Amino acid sequence: MIHSSGNGMMSSSAASSSVGNSQSPGLKTYFKTPEGRYKLHFEKTHPAGLLHYAHGKAVTQVTLAQLKEKPAQLPPTPTGSSSASGVRSAAARLLGGGNGSRALSFVGGNGASKAVAGSSRIGSMGVSSSSGSALCSNYDGKGTFLIFNVGDTVYISDFNSQDKDPIKSIHFSNSNPVCHAFDADAKDGHDLLIGLNSGDVYSVSLRQQLQDVGKKLVGAQHYNRDGSVNSSRCTSVAWAPEGDGAFVVTHADGNLYVYEKGKDGTADSSFPVIKDQTQFSVAHARSSKSNPVSRWHICQGSINSISFSADGAYIATVGRDGYLRVFDYSKEQLICGVKSYYGALLCCAWSMDGKYILTGGEDDLVQVWSMDERKVVAWGEGHNSWVSGVSFDPFWSSPTSEGDVESVMYRFGSVGQDTQLLLWDLVMDELVVPLRRPSGGSPTFSTGSQSAHWDTLTPVGTLQPAPSMRDVPKLSPLVAHRVHNEPLSDLIFTQESVLTACREGHIKIWMRPAHCENQSSSSENVLSNSLKEKPLLSSKVGSYKQ
Amino acid sequence: MGAAGSKLEKALGDQFPEGERYFGLENFGNTCYCNSVLQALYFCVPFREQLLQYYTSTKSPSDADENLLTCLADLFSQICSQKKKTGVIAPKRFVQRVKKENELFRSYMHQDAHEFLNFLLNELVEILEKESRATKSSPETSSSEKSVNGPINGLANGTKIEPLVTWVHKNFQGILTNETRCLRCETVTARDETFLDLSLDIEQNSSITSCLKNFSSTETLNAEDKFFCDKCCSLQEAQKRMKIKKPPHILVIHLKRFKYIEQLSRYKKLSYRVVFPLELKLSNTMEDADSEYTLFAVVVHVGSGPNHGHYVSLVKSHNHWLFFDDENVEMVDESAMQTFFGSSQEYTSNTDHGYILFYESVSTIGTS
Repeated sequence: MIHSSGNGMMSSSAASSSVGNSQSPGLKTYFKTPEGRYKLHFEKTHPAGLLHYAHGKAVTQVTLAQLKEKPAQLPPTPTGSSSASGVRSAAARLLGGGNGSRALSFVGGNGASKAVAGSSRIGSMGVSSSSGSALCSNYDGKGTFLIFNVGDTVYISDFNSQDKDPIKSIHFSNSNPVCHAFDADAKDGHDLLIGLNSGDVYSVSLRQQLQDVGKKLVGAQHYNRDGSVNSSRCTSVAWAPEGDGAFVVTHADGNLYVYEKGKDGTADSSFPVIKDQTQFSVAHARSSKSNPVSRWHICQGSINSISFSADGAYIATVGRDGYLRVFDYSKEQLICGVKSYYGALLCCAWSMDGKYILTGGEDDLVQVWSMDERKVVAWGEGHNSWVSGVSFDPFWSSPTSEGDVESVMYRFGSVGQDTQLLLWDLVMDELVVPLRRPSGGSPTFSTGSQSAHWDTLTPVGTLQPAPSMRDVPKLSPLVAHRVHNEPLSDLIFTQESVLTACREGHIKIWMRPAHCENQSSSSENVLSNSLKEKPLLSSKVGSYKQ
Repeated sequence: MGAAGSKLEKALGDQFPEGERYFGLENFGNTCYCNSVLQALYFCVPFREQLLQYYTSTKSPSDADENLLTCLADLFSQICSQKKKTGVIAPKRFVQRVKKENELFRSYMHQDAHEFLNFLLNELVEILEKESRATKSSPETSSSEKSVNGPINGLANGTKIEPLVTWVHKNFQGILTNETRCLRCETVTARDETFLDLSLDIEQNSSITSCLKNFSSTETLNAEDKFFCDKCCSLQEAQKRMKIKKPPHILVIHLKRFKYIEQLSRYKKLSYRVVFPLELKLSNTMEDADSEYTLFAVVVHVGSGPNHGHYVSLVKSHNHWLFFDDENVEMVDESAMQTFFGSSQEYTSNTDHGYILFYESVSTIGTS
């Protein structure tokens, strides 16, 4: 126990620097961006002495979960007053569809989580750490929690408390938990998914776990028991946005399963043998009582990560074979995709408006895929090792955008095994394809012999081969900052902070400049500013049916 | 040993590749440096095939003609002609020959696997060149037609006679261009040099991609280290960079894990975490397309210091990964590779680190 007395806003920077020095010698406790300094606010970790590596190590992933007031009223219809809907859309943006269904998602990617109250609570962060713990003592109220896995344990920390240690740990005796996801809109209480190394999956109520004093999972629904459907490692779990309790689980053998929450999978859950391992195929369960309800065979080798678009219409997968694939979720169809420059892809994330997908992987590149253009529009060069986490910043508003659609700018971040957090700006105007060699021919006229060359760059097929280094515009990072001493595994943007996690289970929370400098009053301003400047985004996200 | 062999056979079942042999190699006292490299070379299929071809085409050599090449060919042919599919072989003659040829390897001390690989390949080249000269055939008509990748020219400023391109060269040799730009007159001096492997400096928490990038990055020559510009006829500040002019078919990457620490006046092992992908592209080449490679072998150094420890190797054969530890051969999952990346902490119990990586150009796979 190094320190933990939350003593008000004045101390936040002092506290954070002491945190930084004690944990990570040689690492700075802030980084500069054009909009100001991001400061290390606090850290979350696991009790060092209590690590269980009975089943080997597991890479830490983080899920940020927001619980609402306990009486789980049915949400109001979206015909509220204008101010109410405005706040709701802000909350939607706050919750950010960009992270989609990554294990590190902010409430399951399905933005519309009515986190109005939640956002005001985050606004009080650093001021009321003591009241935070008081409020959560019986866990009936609202609260924001960090869920992360280390070894054979899932830890839960109170996000709004400066206490470093988790408030709850859940041990798994049979296998390591490796991925998790949270759905703030869950209807019947089961809002947390946990996937295991053994392939088993559980759905539970987060609140119920918090209220229980034991170290075991309580009230869990068990899926794929003992790997009865698929015995390979879980790689990712995600709630389908607007999916009415449906969720998907991916495995290390290239299969994805769609489950329905709360449905007992006692019926025969076997699926036909996959005829061609190299081809995408969907099989539906023979019995209507079966859970999972369908199996998607996606690729050879592991599916490493998945991400739903914010509206739930599309699901993106990345895997060992290096391909990004985008599927129409309801039609169960492969829409498009592309191969990495080389090596496996490890992570992916959608932009809030569904126009871009970020991927990162073993070629050290952050790749930007355009859904409109169906091509890779940029490669971000800046990591010195594999890219393990990517995310658009859903709260970033370009200072120059002012409704000018042409120069829409996106801010995104990436974390890598080089221990660095990188921030990037994507300005579509500035993306210029490098000069083509004369022999390359013009892309617009695909006639004669020249077409052969061009066709290999933008083939008509669904899955495109890896682009060539000289054909893709390059981005350079705005900021590159070493944030941990260990390789990083995850990244989350919240309205007031950026969270970084390393593989070994240490999490750092970096306050955004506005919140570092003027914590008490800024959150409201940012909220209204962002609403003004991004009508497109907020209206889009705000249009969720509730 | 029979039990271990059958275990591997059982693990592979009917997937056991036809005609393939998986044999462990006996250790004659710290000869793991040799065994690990031999396994990597044996499963370098184009190299193995050409060596066996050479073996059958040469008349059975008398003992007087015995050299490292014939010993290696003999060993490889011994392995691949075994009746059993798995087992253990004693590379006795080969190891004796190595010790005879090079006193460095004569002791029972821990040896450096990379030094051994380097010695072996250069020795093979020398023997082949000597043979070619002995048969008095002109270089053009010998086994060295122009390389598949296009003509090789301008080697070493053309001061030497046109060098012979042996099949060892064809597999392992690439060409680097060392470009130096005088900062005064802007003249670029390019000097080509051949390589059989690339030795890369490593950094903590980096990737092979990043190490390769650093290898080709621009370096400024100044202060004590100025460059003599022929045009300016004086020492000038200059910028120097290495480009890969011709990527090799088999790209051998040596991670410089053993570093001389001046303060300690001794070598120290760097256990840095350096990740290596199963696929790789070289983009810093001068060729049109980015050349693509897949990883097929890793020589792993086990141990915390440079003067002791153990070598093992991981080898890909017919889409399965195999783990060779002297006599023992096991099947491993591809995902086991990550346990050999190294450690992000200085003091660690993990001492098994990837040391030499063997990548094969994708274009040559399938043709062999």
